[in-house]
Amino acid sequence: MSSLDVSLLLDGQLNAEECRAALQACATDAGRRDDFTLYALVGDVLRGNSFPDDGFSRRIFARLQSEGVKMEPGYDPLGDERP
Amino acid sequence: MLNQDEDAELVRLAQDGDVRAFEALVVKYQRRLAKHVSRYLRSADDIEDVVQEAFIRAYRGLPSFRRDSAFYTWLYRIATNCAFSFRARTPWLERLEEPDSDEERPGHEPSTSEGEDPERRLMANQIAESVRRGLDRLPAELLEAITLYEVEGKSYAEIAQMAGIPIGTVRTRIFRARAALAKRLKPLLDPQRDRRW
Repeated sequence: MSSLDVSLLLDGQLNAEECRAALQACATDAGRRDDFTLYALVGDVLRGNSFPDDGFSRRIFARLQSEGVKMEPGYDPLGDERP
Repeated sequence: MLNQDEDAELVRLAQDGDVRAFEALVVKYQRRLAKHVSRYLRSADDIEDVVQEAFIRAYRGLPSFRRDSAFYTWLYRIATNCAFSFRARTPWLERLEEPDSDEERPGHEPSTSEGEDPERRLMANQIAESVRRGLDRLPAELLEAITLYEVEGKSYAEIAQMAGIPIGTVRTRIFRARAALAKRLKPLLDPQRDRRW
């Protein structure tokens, strides 16, 4: 799995099988994971969304794990529309 | 303009229980969502709390996402609701002006506050400057491809048509531009960031 594949993963250019392979590469190869993170950052900076990533997604997943958050088939996150 | 289908595979995998796919969506959209939320809240900590809440609600609600809109559009609505609820719960909060209706749509992210944290602002400026310098050094054909895709929101097929090149060339040009710019950013970022998946 190459850095080019990671770029295509970011852009939704891979089919399901390729997508799974690219995700696996990101899970096991720090270089590929860095590629994904940096390519996403490049796009954000070009669009003016330069809010720095200082472990933000890591904290989200720490919270998902610590709170034992699961997918809930009956839950609609848009159920409580704007107050 | 966002491609309606670009996250379809990642969303499908996430709905099937592949947490790595959801992580990829978080990494992809965290800053875009933070930028959106920063229109309603000033504090960087509050912005992060609301964005976290939005992603957590999205994860819980993934089974209800029917893919009849783009994933980011759905996420944007969730985050907007979270921001409005946060403001309703914290009446002492210093309020920002309501955005113009033209600006309140996914894909349009105005250049407002980054959350007034000086360290984050400094880092954001360094990152932006590094990318700006990198753009100056890109060959014209790579600059064209990355700008059309990331800034103009054109699809790979549209870029191929506009530049008169095969779609495979679009893929490699966007990748080469990203790789060149990413190489400049890597030394600026915390090496400990996001070491999971």
